[in-house]
Amino acid sequence: MTLYPRCPALLVCVAAAALAQPRSGVRLTDVTKEAGLAFVHNTGAFGAMYLPETMGAGCAFLDYNGDGWMDILLVNGMDWPAHKKQRTTPKLYRNKGGGAFVDVTHASGLDVEIYGMGAAIGDYDNDGLPDIFISAVGQNRLFRNKGDGRFEDVTRAAGLIGRESFSAAALWFDYDSDGRLDLFVANYVRWTPESDIFCTIDGRRKSYCTPEAYRGETSWLFRNKGDGTFEDVTVKANLFDSTSKALGAALLDFDADGLIDLFVANDTQPNKLYRNLGKGRFQEVAVASGIAFSEDGKARAGMGTDAADFDLSGAPSVAVTNFNNEMLAFFRNTGDGSFKDIAPTTALGPITRGSLGFGCLFLDVDLDGWPDLLVANGHIDEVQGAHHGDSGRAQSPHLVWNRGGRSFLDIAAEAGRAFVAPKVGRGVAVADIDLDGDLDILITENGGPAHLFRNDLQSDNRGIRFELRGTVSNRDAIGALVRVEVGGRKLSQLVKTGSSYLSQSELPLTFGLGHNNRADRVTIRWPSGRVEEFSNLAAGQTYRCVEGAGIRERIPLASRPRPASTNGPR
Amino acid sequence: MVLFSPTSRSLVGLAVTLLAVGLFSWYALRQVEGLSDLQTRIIDRNRRDSLQLLRIQNNLQNLGFSMRDMTTRTAGYPVAAWKAEFERTRFDLDDAFRIEHELGPTSRSDQQQQFLEDSVSQFWAAAERAFQLSGEGREEQAQALVRDILQTRHASIAGTVARFLVMNNEAEQKAAAEVRAIYSNVERNIYYFLLAAVVVICGTSVSLILQNRRVFRSLDQLSHQRQVLARKLITMQEDMFRSIARELHDEFGQVLTAVGALLARAQKPETSTEKLAKSLRETQQIVQEALDGVRSLSVRLHPNVLDDYGLEGAVEWYVRHISEQTGLNIECVKEGDFAGVVPPETAIHVYRILQESINNVVRHSDSKRAWVRLRRNARKLELEIEDRGVGLPEDPRTAEGLGLVGMRERAELIRGSLTFSRPAEGGTLVRLEAPLTA
Ligand SMILES: Nc1ncnc2c1ncn2[C@@H]1O[C@H](COP(=O)(O)OP(=O)(O)O)[C@@H](O)[C@H]1O
Ligand SMILES: [Mg+2]
Repeated sequence: MTLYPRCPALLVCVAAAALAQPRSGVRLTDVTKEAGLAFVHNTGAFGAMYLPETMGAGCAFLDYNGDGWMDILLVNGMDWPAHKKQRTTPKLYRNKGGGAFVDVTHASGLDVEIYGMGAAIGDYDNDGLPDIFISAVGQNRLFRNKGDGRFEDVTRAAGLIGRESFSAAALWFDYDSDGRLDLFVANYVRWTPESDIFCTIDGRRKSYCTPEAYRGETSWLFRNKGDGTFEDVTVKANLFDSTSKALGAALLDFDADGLIDLFVANDTQPNKLYRNLGKGRFQEVAVASGIAFSEDGKARAGMGTDAADFDLSGAPSVAVTNFNNEMLAFFRNTGDGSFKDIAPTTALGPITRGSLGFGCLFLDVDLDGWPDLLVANGHIDEVQGAHHGDSGRAQSPHLVWNRGGRSFLDIAAEAGRAFVAPKVGRGVAVADIDLDGDLDILITENGGPAHLFRNDLQSDNRGIRFELRGTVSNRDAIGALVRVEVGGRKLSQLVKTGSSYLSQSELPLTFGLGHNNRADRVTIRWPSGRVEEFSNLAAGQTYRCVEGAGIRERIPLASRPRPASTNGPR
Repeated sequence: MVLFSPTSRSLVGLAVTLLAVGLFSWYALRQVEGLSDLQTRIIDRNRRDSLQLLRIQNNLQNLGFSMRDMTTRTAGYPVAAWKAEFERTRFDLDDAFRIEHELGPTSRSDQQQQFLEDSVSQFWAAAERAFQLSGEGREEQAQALVRDILQTRHASIAGTVARFLVMNNEAEQKAAAEVRAIYSNVERNIYYFLLAAVVVICGTSVSLILQNRRVFRSLDQLSHQRQVLARKLITMQEDMFRSIARELHDEFGQVLTAVGALLARAQKPETSTEKLAKSLRETQQIVQEALDGVRSLSVRLHPNVLDDYGLEGAVEWYVRHISEQTGLNIECVKEGDFAGVVPPETAIHVYRILQESINNVVRHSDSKRAWVRLRRNARKLELEIEDRGVGLPEDPRTAEGLGLVGMRERAELIRGSLTFSRPAEGGTLVRLEAPLTA
């Protein structure tokens, strides 16, 4: 942003700034209350300063009842066993349509106490109903969707009992291309209340430890055997690594070989990039491809992560949130299988340097075709915050507007007062809750409320939405790549779980078409390898595509109110 | 008075100082060089080596944790699961060991190094066997191997590395002590140098100040002499004019008045021839007297005798003339041939010095006798005037007449030297030496 240090009057300043700063037209309205979301995250903190207390928790969008409206799952913590004062559980909110929610936790059977961290939603049994995996401190849980609005805990039946750790990110994907979703669980460090270490900053009071104090833990890959049980293939798939301290995980096909690769963001340890070799094996290539460390060779505090084709080059780049003063890592995919962190050389560095980022994801918030970057920030604890000269734990989120893949502008303040207000941000997820063609945003706070922001975009840009259903491939079509050609540009998105921090966005894909009224060409590469192509698809529609059967349904999106002013879009 | 040029002394001082500074800088540079050499050779190398040892220790610690997990974790993975991790660690360890070996201090014995290398290769051999066993499903045997061999080897490697670290630490401390010694030595020498520099500077300053004071004092004296001389010269000139005026008035005024009266008398008609003849005789007599007076005055103003008879003749004439006039007994001795060798501009000054000296003898010495000696050899002329009188006063300040000053000036003009001394028999000896060649 241009600065005008010697403006004679405030008015002139405001006018000059208004002229100098281009407008995205993005308005994010806080609809938490009117949507009926009354949730407060419980960290369980009672004074012992246990490490997990600062880390949770995530959220997810899923259509658990198959009515086409995106429902919300909010993961929660709980009181520590010896210090129980209240009963807290994860919360499931059903979307009644148009963005009004109702708490259905009890009815769904999800009102169980878990020290939950994140959630991964996937239809692992291919019955058309999304199932829920909740990563936790202690025993992880798998809930199968019974189809009658209720979930059943199948942790034991699935063979996942005894899988106790300090788990963080989790995601579903079909790593061995057998048409069934497999489960990846990222583990953070070896921590139990009994092994808790006394860390201190001021030398007297206990403070929250950094992960250096604890040993790493291997993440897990569970192969879906197809009979409702899972097999640990961590070693077989070459993912075993007891030194990692993983928090975030993202799916991407960085080398464009059609096999879905796995990126893992590690806290104070080098990031890992597992290249899918096919035949159920991975090769770790993070150091060789330049994504393991910062530009000066340091392992940073990787938290959340996401991958997207932000520069419309066709190759996905990777963003990783880090500690404050480390700035966000923005690994641009150079197209030859290697990455370069462009944050230090672009506006991304200055924008993100001062904040401690957690959840981060790419979304085309203004539907201009260029994926923008959303980052939730928030510090670890008060003591540490005060020590580093910050004020408290709350920090403003970033909404980095992508202008042509080259210049970046933080439009969080422009998006709305409630949105830019400081938060102890952790999880972030997006979905089109009101089916009006633009993406709405859910942000969770550590030890605080969850916030739902409705996107009231003030521009003429139009969106198009795809819901994919695999037949040969896994039914959720996770790993499918959709390419949209519009106005000479080639947009691409992967159907995926994971990404962000402990959270999962909706599986349907939303593409921004800008002022164009139709997508010239749409190509779907299904996980099975099958490629389908469509042309001249009108904007403002949800297309339901079924593998091998083409477009089965098109549902018009609700029309957005026209922009009030004309200075909106570029 | 002889004056040493202070400039040359200062230049010498400056040169000495510069030399000292140069020498000292060279010394300091050598010391610093030695220091940096010591630093790079021992301390830096040691430190880098220790860093590698710490890197090795870190890797060993990770391996240790992993081995414990291999053998104790109940719901754990087969030993072979750690293969990739071990390979990664081995890659880093090999690199660290290689760098460490290159940096390794020479003090380390080959035996120790060999032991370490053997332990490491035995460790990896055992690890490979354990992974192989685990891969074949012989988990019990693999775990036993880890417990019995791998962990023992690991412990001995860790022990050796720890010992190396301690050795490095000791070597570093020794080097640090050496550095401290060099530092204190240099520091002491800097103080010595500063002290010496201060002494030299103070000495130079004091000598300069003294020199300056002497120069100023002599300048003062000289300017006083000049002032006195100038005043006396003016007075003398006035005296001269007055004496000429009186002489003219007394001698020629009377004479011409008398001549006038005689001639007036002779003009009168009643004057007899006899009377006329008498008047003419008287007039002629008076005119003769006046002529003698004029000649005498002229000689006093400038001795024509010098022009007519040369120095030798003039000296002889003057000595005789003054003897007759004053009755002083002057013995005159001449040696050498003077004909035509003394240029007239030298001769007048020699003559005046003689005149003044004889005058002083007459006026101040109370001596009845005097000696004048005029000598000439190949290169110079010598004139001595000696008396047996009271001698010059002890304090030269009371002998500050215009005569002595004038004599000195004249001697200087002809680049000669004039000395006053007291002979053993008493009295005064004035001696002039003047070069003859131009
Ligand atoms: N031959 C001498 N014997 C003793 N005293 C002498 C002799 N010549 C000079 N002096 C002393 O030196 C003084 C200075 O002499 P001079 O310079 O000729 O000045 P002046 O003759 O006018 O007094 C004299 O006043 C006298 O006291
Ligand atoms: Mg005299």
